Amino acid sequence: MALTFPFAAIVGQEEMTLAIQVVAVDPSIGGVLVLGDRGTGKSTAVRALADLLPPIQVVQGCPYGCDPAAKNPCAHCQAARAASGKKLPTLERPVPVVDLPLGATEDRVVGALDLEKALTQGVKEFAPGLLAQANRGFLYIDEVNLLEDHLVDLLIDVAASGENLVEREGLSVRHPARFVLVGSGNPEEGELRPQLLDRFGLSVEVRTPQDLALRVQVIKRRDAFERDPAGFRAEWEAANQKLRKNILKARSALERLEVGDDLLHLCAALCQKLGTDGLRAELTLLRTTRAMAALRGAKKVTLAHLREIAPMVLRHRLRRNPLDDTGSSVRVQRAMDEVLGGDGSKPAHAVAAPQPGAARG
Amino acid sequence: MTQDFRSAAPPAAEPLQDAPPSVVWSDAQLLLLALQVDPVGLGGVWLRAGHGPVREAWLAQLARAMGQRPLVKVPHHIDTERLLGGTDLTHTLQTGKLQWQEGVLAQAHGGIATLAMAERLSPATVAQMLYTLDRGRIRQHHGEADCRFGIVALDESGEDEPGLAPALADRLGVWLSLDTVSRCDSLNTLELLSADELARTQSELHKVQAQDQDVGALCQAALALGIDSLRAPLLALQVARVHAALHQRHTLAQEDLALAARWVLAPRATVVPQPVQEPPPEESDSQPPPPEAPPPDQAQDNESPAPPPPEEQGASEQAEMPTDQELVEMLLAAAAAALPPHLLDRLLLQRQSPQKGVRAAHSGSSGQAQKHTMRGRPLSPRAGKPHAGARLHLLATLRAAAPKQTLRRKPQGMQTPARNRISLWPEDFHIQRFEQRSPSCLIFAIDASGSAALERLAEAKGAVEILLQQSYARRDSVCVLAFRGAKAEVLLPPTRSLVRAKRALAGLPGGGGTPLAMALQLGLEQAMQVQRAGMTPSLVVLSDGRANIDLAGMGGRAQAGADALALAQRWALSPWAALWIDTAPKPEPLAQALARSMGAHYLPMPHVQAQRMAAAMQTLRGA
Repeated sequence: MALTFPFAAIVGQEEMTLAIQVVAVDPSIGGVLVLGDRGTGKSTAVRALADLLPPIQVVQGCPYGCDPAAKNPCAHCQAARAASGKKLPTLERPVPVVDLPLGATEDRVVGALDLEKALTQGVKEFAPGLLAQANRGFLYIDEVNLLEDHLVDLLIDVAASGENLVEREGLSVRHPARFVLVGSGNPEEGELRPQLLDRFGLSVEVRTPQDLALRVQVIKRRDAFERDPAGFRAEWEAANQKLRKNILKARSALERLEVGDDLLHLCAALCQKLGTDGLRAELTLLRTTRAMAALRGAKKVTLAHLREIAPMVLRHRLRRNPLDDTGSSVRVQRAMDEVLGGDGSKPAHAVAAPQPGAARG
Repeated sequence: MTQDFRSAAPPAAEPLQDAPPSVVWSDAQLLLLALQVDPVGLGGVWLRAGHGPVREAWLAQLARAMGQRPLVKVPHHIDTERLLGGTDLTHTLQTGKLQWQEGVLAQAHGGIATLAMAERLSPATVAQMLYTLDRGRIRQHHGEADCRFGIVALDESGEDEPGLAPALADRLGVWLSLDTVSRCDSLNTLELLSADELARTQSELHKVQAQDQDVGALCQAALALGIDSLRAPLLALQVARVHAALHQRHTLAQEDLALAARWVLAPRATVVPQPVQEPPPEESDSQPPPPEAPPPDQAQDNESPAPPPPEEQGASEQAEMPTDQELVEMLLAAAAAALPPHLLDRLLLQRQSPQKGVRAAHSGSSGQAQKHTMRGRPLSPRAGKPHAGARLHLLATLRAAAPKQTLRRKPQGMQTPARNRISLWPEDFHIQRFEQRSPSCLIFAIDASGSAALERLAEAKGAVEILLQQSYARRDSVCVLAFRGAKAEVLLPPTRSLVRAKRALAGLPGGGGTPLAMALQLGLEQAMQVQRAGMTPSLVVLSDGRANIDLAGMGGRAQAGADALALAQRWALSPWAALWIDTAPKPEPLAQALARSMGAHYLPMPHVQAQRMAAAMQTLRGA
């Protein structure tokens, strides 16, 4: 396993790190789309994601990393269960964060006939692809806006159904592929299909910090990491540990947190105001606000949480008028001011994350 | 000449492009030493140079510099299997067992991968390479292995071509152009480090410590030069370190930092550093760029003695420690002297259409190159016999045959094939299929002249917006040309980003003569370029056809009209479709005549409505 830059050591980029943590708390929010300039630490943050996630239990030998407690496991586990008749041996392993490089072939993504087995043993067997590897984890696509159309189609389909269906080369395989999609890209190089945009729960915009001190700090940490990756990671292990604990705590708090009807009304009104399609936006808004409250260790979900998270949820879901120059962040902010009333109440815990919408003009 | 050449690094503030090419060459020589010491840490080199003896001389020396360490060549058309490793088909076929073949990147571990014609690399190849580069690991037959390498990207692209993929360029430390170096300059070569020297320098490199002040100065210089990417100061720091190690220093001296500024920061600059300059609009939330050149009196206020003038920086080791401000100032001077000559022009252009840095001028490239790979998008292979026009898909064929090998080996009353052969039966054959859908690119030539268009420019823009919206829906690329006064220019190179097209359009001013012939010529050139990139161009002209500036840029209706007609006829000879939208208040016979001789569809502006436009576009594409 290659050493990744520790998540806790990432400097600045509060909005991005917050979004990633929120998704780590509640993966059902859907993925994160990170848009921004080159060299702003997009990939670094995403690849460091594994740091935040507690290890998961998987069935030993299962190519898809099934949950031992899964109600409808993959064919492999079903067969194994039927054969042994008792509990399957399990294994603890880190949550997969799988990279899908731009040029990946369909075979590599979906999976294909296992060439080695076929050649050496004459057995027809399925060799799982990246989608199988990413099951129960994260699938990261850098430069997602340049992804080829046929791969986009494929992803949209699998991301919606949580299941990968392979019908090729005489194989007929169906396996679970539930993953959180994380994408990054530079919007100046091409636009994303609306259908794919919709698959992302949150979207954040990153910029290079223009503050000198911050920049110097980024460079110093990165340089220290490059010179001694293992040592640097060891140094940050405690901080990483703390983040991980916080996320675990937030996960367990998630079930206890109730979102009041008044907030639900506001969510609905906000979505209505912005004319977002379908109910997905409202659902995501609800889940994200709750995850946000859990992450902050709050006892109750409040308006401040909603206010803080709403731009991330709604920004990429506005009905597109591609020729309207007004930034979507501005439009969301405007709607928020109107629906949630003024910008009066500051978020209760505004220390860690500045209000994302406010900084943009 | 070896040792003294090495220690007498070129003075920091020597202007690069005005300097004799020999300075560029000596820089290139010094770069070889740096690569010899740390091929991986520098990220690599973006070498802009035409094919020729100069580049060959440099590459030959690079090969010597690498010695026993790997130096692999990556051709631009390499496939994923060769790049990252995969099944070795020949060997697999021979042995009947799956044989893994190491990819070229794995072979480059610890050394350098040279990318020939790097500007033509497909985005897929670039992405795979960067993925490996970023992770420093590569997949092996079983498991993973370390894979760290530097890249020398050979770029032969011309001025008007998109050039290297920005994501790749961003990761390469040193950007160097050898175009000005002549053959005789290149005969002067520098002796490389001997094995002992190399080992010593490499152990020195580990000891070089960067002070906070050094890091701060590099960051501040990068900020003042408008460099957004944080990789730039990081790479600059490593360049400075290597240079210090070459001089057996354990701390960074001014000249180390100056060299880094010159090599790494200057070529990436998007802003000419000026103390009085307003910060770019997008930076409005932060403090303005640091005043890199404080007035002399302020410099004297600092406690330390007056800074050594840049020319004396060779002797800086003895000089007192410079203050932070002076250090930044010196770096900026070093970088400013080496700023690319066209920066100002580009910045001026950028001001007309308010958008971010020079990247905007480049960033079309990635999208464009992507189109290139989409040409003949491969479909899944299909069973069938190869014949003319259908190529055998070897892998699919093998896949089809593979599962049956064990069966076929069993005696079934027929001859058993030898054990180490794969038996292919006719039923196994698969053929390659492509979807022939070459993406299209709409080239808009917009008349922004004063004549008749000025009053109707807004309307013309509206028409273009309708078309843009349609091409957006179809995922076409667009390219915008504007002509007015005595010139026609490319406002926006082919891009799929609608936002950029919209912005380019919004910033378009009106007024001046009508150089229609120039516009058509530019349109033709652009169309050829678009076709080279693998797209099908079509031209949309928005003009009243009343040309009054000829090809030579002189006024005069007669000659201008004749030139325009000649170019219209040349367009007619091309295989591409065109649409003429007449912007005159009422249908203009001149425009009609031109459209006819171009073989273009003609649409008078008063009739421009979304629906008609859509129909016109449909016929345009069908044509």
